[in-house]
Amino acid sequence: MVPQLSWYLALSAVLFTIGVVGVMIKRNVISMFMCIELMLNAVNLTFVAFSSFFRDLSGQLFVFIVMTVAAAEAAVGLGIIIAIFRNRESLDVDDARSLKL
Amino acid sequence: MTAALFILFAGLAIGCAISMVVQRNPLYSAISLIGVFISLACLYVTLAAPFIAAVQVIVYAGAIMVLVVFVIMLLNVEDEERRPLRLRSLVPIAVMLAAVLFAEAVFIIFFVQTNPKTPAYTVSDIGMTSSIGGGLFTTYLLPFEITSILLLMAIVGAITLARTGGLLSTRAAVVPGAQVFPRELLDRQRHIDDLTPVATHSTREAEQLLGVEHDDDGDEQ
Repeated sequence: MVPQLSWYLALSAVLFTIGVVGVMIKRNVISMFMCIELMLNAVNLTFVAFSSFFRDLSGQLFVFIVMTVAAAEAAVGLGIIIAIFRNRESLDVDDARSLKL
Repeated sequence: MTAALFILFAGLAIGCAISMVVQRNPLYSAISLIGVFISLACLYVTLAAPFIAAVQVIVYAGAIMVLVVFVIMLLNVEDEERRPLRLRSLVPIAVMLAAVLFAEAVFIIFFVQTNPKTPAYTVSDIGMTSSIGGGLFTTYLLPFEITSILLLMAIVGAITLARTGGLLSTRAAVVPGAQVFPRELLDRQRHIDDLTPVATHSTREAEQLLGVEHDDDGDEQ
């Protein structure tokens, strides 16, 4: 038995949903950040699955670009998290009510 | 064989993802997320995409997660405490939206199922490094260049955000008036357990607190 494309799409949907739920229920900024990374990975899985099943290279190239964006997001996002923590002594999103640092 | 590998790694990925959301300690969440990344890399290998699998392990499980774990250790994050649920009235709406999302996913999956494609398990060079490099530098050259600009912006932004330069720069001549200072910013040498902020109500108080002296006013300390 060979895995069908729908299997990979279902797995990707499940992972994405878990990521969304994590962003919703987590109150720690770092945990929310990791859930966003999980959602990016779910989308990457869809790209690679389509690319492999349709024999098209474009999907994997876009996965590469998505990974670059994720790395940039990690650098800037963690910088913002550190700035928030330095000013508020807390990583709780409920404490960060105003955009002013 | 491939189906068994898929089920193994898919189960591992889902289990690690659920563990990541359920854990209250961010460090355990990070380790679970690394498990998800490794499982996805194994799935990429079964999808005949070895380059993406290698990049997944190196960039995600290596670089990004090391950064996240470093920040968790640096900030000394404690466990989330349990708090009562706010917005309880919105729970039915949340359940309904989740049902809609699930229905959409099921619809798409079955829509794809009715149009099966032959999977690419024959030998091809689709996922190989050379073909990815060729595509990246010919057809997708413009996204590649835009990505490099994005990385440059991320570098500048990260440095701007992370740079403290102390509370005041060395050439600062004007001290602002009423404001609130975190205690640890005022005295970086000692370790302070008291984390309550210090409030000043005038420029003069702020100057005394920060140890800044005015040159033009002779009698000030």
